[in-house]
Amino acid sequence: MSNTTQNFDAVIIGGGHNGLTAATTLARKGHSVCVLERSSVLGGMMSVGGAEAPSFTSRLAHLLYNLNPKVERELGLRLNARNLTTVSLAPNGEHVEIDGGKARMMDGALHPKAVAFATLQTRLQRFATLLSRLSLRTPPKLSGSWTDPETFGELMGLAGIGLGLKGMGKVEMREFLRALLTNVHDLMVDDLDDGPLAGAMAADAVRGSFSGPKAPGTLFSLLYRLGNGANLRAPVGGMASAVAAFEDAAARAGCVIKRQSAVRSVLVQGDRVHGVELDDGTVIHAKAVLSSIGPQATINLAGIQHFDVEIARRAKNLRAKGTAGKLNLLLKARPEFSGLPAPLHQARLLIAPSSDYVEHAFNPVKYGSFSEAPTLEILLPNAHTPETPQTLSAVVGYMPHDPPGGWTDALRTKAEQQIMAVLEAYAPGIGDRVQHSELLTPTDIQTETGAAGGHWHHGEMGIDQILNVRPINGMAHYQCGVEGLYLCGASAHPGGDINGAPGRNSALQALKDGAL
Amino acid sequence: MGQHDTFDAIIAGSGHNGLTTACYLARAGLRVLVVEKNDWIGGAAVSRSLHDGWTYSNCSYVCSLLRREIIRDLELPRFGLQVIPYEGGATFTREGDYFAYYSDHDALNRELARQNPRDVDAYERFSQAVMRQCRFIRPFLLRTAPDPTSLKPRDLSELLYLVKKANDLGARELGETQRFWTMSIADFLDEHFESDLVKAHIAGGGIIGTGLGVYSPGTAYVLLHHYMGDVDGTIGAWGFARGGMGSITQALAASFESSGGTIVTGSGIDQFLTKGGKVTGVALENGDVYHASVVASNMDVRRTFINHTAESDLPSEFVTAVKRFKTRGSSGKINVSLDRFPTFPAAPDGARFLSGDMHCSTSLQELEKAYDDWKVGRWSQEPYFDMLIPTQIDPTMAPPGKHMMTVFVQYAPYDLEVDGVRSPDNWNETQRQAFATCVFDKMEQACPGIRDHILHAEVRSPYELEQEVGLTEGNIFQGELTFDQLLFNRPVPGYAQYRTPIGGMYLVGSSTHPGGGVMGAPGANAAREILRDVGKGQAMPVYTD
Repeated sequence: MSNTTQNFDAVIIGGGHNGLTAATTLARKGHSVCVLERSSVLGGMMSVGGAEAPSFTSRLAHLLYNLNPKVERELGLRLNARNLTTVSLAPNGEHVEIDGGKARMMDGALHPKAVAFATLQTRLQRFATLLSRLSLRTPPKLSGSWTDPETFGELMGLAGIGLGLKGMGKVEMREFLRALLTNVHDLMVDDLDDGPLAGAMAADAVRGSFSGPKAPGTLFSLLYRLGNGANLRAPVGGMASAVAAFEDAAARAGCVIKRQSAVRSVLVQGDRVHGVELDDGTVIHAKAVLSSIGPQATINLAGIQHFDVEIARRAKNLRAKGTAGKLNLLLKARPEFSGLPAPLHQARLLIAPSSDYVEHAFNPVKYGSFSEAPTLEILLPNAHTPETPQTLSAVVGYMPHDPPGGWTDALRTKAEQQIMAVLEAYAPGIGDRVQHSELLTPTDIQTETGAAGGHWHHGEMGIDQILNVRPINGMAHYQCGVEGLYLCGASAHPGGDINGAPGRNSALQALKDGAL
Repeated sequence: MGQHDTFDAIIAGSGHNGLTTACYLARAGLRVLVVEKNDWIGGAAVSRSLHDGWTYSNCSYVCSLLRREIIRDLELPRFGLQVIPYEGGATFTREGDYFAYYSDHDALNRELARQNPRDVDAYERFSQAVMRQCRFIRPFLLRTAPDPTSLKPRDLSELLYLVKKANDLGARELGETQRFWTMSIADFLDEHFESDLVKAHIAGGGIIGTGLGVYSPGTAYVLLHHYMGDVDGTIGAWGFARGGMGSITQALAASFESSGGTIVTGSGIDQFLTKGGKVTGVALENGDVYHASVVASNMDVRRTFINHTAESDLPSEFVTAVKRFKTRGSSGKINVSLDRFPTFPAAPDGARFLSGDMHCSTSLQELEKAYDDWKVGRWSQEPYFDMLIPTQIDPTMAPPGKHMMTVFVQYAPYDLEVDGVRSPDNWNETQRQAFATCVFDKMEQACPGIRDHILHAEVRSPYELEQEVGLTEGNIFQGELTFDQLLFNRPVPGYAQYRTPIGGMYLVGSSTHPGGGVMGAPGANAAREILRDVGKGQAMPVYTD
């Protein structure tokens, strides 16, 4: 490419779903937008990899369970997805089917704690819905006085949530304030006893986190996941079709999307951003730059000299150690999970037979190691059409992103063997059906997507790294230090999962700030 | 005194909080009785002579958190309390080195520089950050926690006080406070320091007495307990109570008796007596009955309501909430009589830091592994301990030339796992000795050959603490210090202001705000509420910050 210059209102760094959402949001308001994706495919953690990668229709992320409905509507996303139920597998075959607030055994009988579960789930959903009101707003700054319009607006927003809280009644409000910062293990085991049901909830709370279910703050993570109703959806045709839907929405809005366009630097002058320079020397001028690659990488692109020392130090200290890996299997035939009826092979299958199991799976990752009993979230995308090529897609918890000595071939083989051993215990004979396997570690995910530490949320969702201190205290309102520069990815409020809120909110903030 | 006597108020339990409440009530003119199950008073602030000639502070062992307002109001120095500050401490490494903490600024900087020059600046930032948090939290300790669900004027005003204090911080500082309160101590230290040894030395303070690990969110807050006290006005200082921790409760008892109070020992509570939803008195295990319209329990919330109150007297949601209150014990204690001062080969001659707190855990990972061991019902293979030899500063605790050593250990489980079964009954002499061996093996890192000087050792697991002191599951704070059990959630939401569902019955121990440690604040705050309720609110001193 030649040394040409182009002009846009906004440039988006990173063509993952948040980048595409930010782009589409701006474009729909009439602005000219260019999305720059360094690889050959869009999607970030939703992507299925380039031509050099083996073809799995959901290579990294494989489910939609936290897509913000407002984002979906505003973007006009044309998603074709089917709703899934969940089955939490038990080693003794007494699996539990979990569908919303209902918990049933394989013979259709109610789970012994079905009533307690339904009550708990209703309560948690109510809390989660209340908290989700925070998702679609920039976190409050509360820096001005009560009469300052911006502060007043923030206070009104918070008051709305406060009223919603009071509207729940004293008992529920007290429970909210008690449970909000508690750990998911105690909450589940107190009401449900430990087992596959509690294990499933615990696993859902901590998936992607550097945390086990006994850590304080993990209930908040679960509430985050329930925030959009927790409707479990698998895109028809795999995640590739969901990426296509995001791309389609962006293109229809008029966005220019450039693949294989890595950004070398963000151009800053007089404390103001004025565009980007690509690896090949192309300069693209823009009034605003929205970056979905996290604060550390963004600061490096812009040049650390433009940021105050404290911010730079905090960005370096941002906790982002990924713990989720992915195993993709190409199988000669569909696996048979013991005690699981054929139709339920189309459900989301969880291997998290108790909260203690999940905690046990977590412990080794603190020491850079990998448990012999990992948690697994499994999908069999073609289970309903056994005559077509069968695959198994599994999110693995927990894998260290930086084991001592790195992810050597020997370590990969060992990890894969350990995962296969667990699968074999639940689906005997699966080992013999494997035609091809691919294991993606958090390090691989970091290399492919640029996410710091290969972290699911681009940064830990600990309660000290959310809301008004996400990603860091002093840079938590999408503005990234320099005027016109914004963070639009999962490292910004509210966080990760295929959600879209960070992309949307950052775009709206940029518009509000008059950056475009 | 007869066996059926009427008082204005009865306090169940002579721990330091119960005695504190008793003192304030007696000074306000009430006729107060304290009943205690043991033959001795003091709860977990006791001095016991278990080996002839030696005195052990066999539960709590150092003093810092006791509120100076309480020391002043109850004239404790007049009744014999003398706290002597100690200085510094050290962590000893396997390689024969150490990291020493000095209260002298320059000495500390030299020590930090020896580990890592960049950590000198880091310490500056760290201590400023911690001090800021201490300053923020201190005024709240002697205030009743607000009830955020209530619209009563007092509660709204308490909430407003909280909001104002938070607002005074400014947005940036508020964010820092928010982070500090929700972070793990390890993450907080990782943000500041580079040396693993320095981090490990400081991190222990974040997990003492907790069922959490150094990487668990909420442990940075626990570290505040380590820094927010004072001795004679020096914030963050720790000291030995001369004569052992029992001198605190002895002074409280003397102050109490001089105000006309009565103490009865030797029999514990069997039942709290009620009629028509109001408390009427207590029935002791030995058959004695005492009457009062105000009864305060120094026992933890579970022991009070599950063991000694009829379930029919309580709302069922309250009982459920109490049963859910977590009191997991995680600490062991070893009290030792030494025939001479041990040898610390790594320490320079005459090292002052030997009179401070000593440890042998040298990395955050080691501390975290210690926690992982506890999770599965075993004591830590490489335990963290807080080890002190107070006789260097208070020679009264041992015969001349001899020494006493106190060793507080994390982690030891209450329900010990043996052959796949977890139960406190598994704690027998064999297990205790095995636990002690594990601790002394680790201690060789600091003072090799220590075992040769041991004349006597009392080894206590959470089970012994429960049996002797009455702390459910041996949790030293009468309930874990996690967010769901702090402030307006402590001990249970809706009952976080010392009152209980039973009219005239109160909780005054560490199960209430602001929690555990030998603080006295729960006892004082409860006394304020009681006096208010009986129309003597003005008798309680008002604290301004």
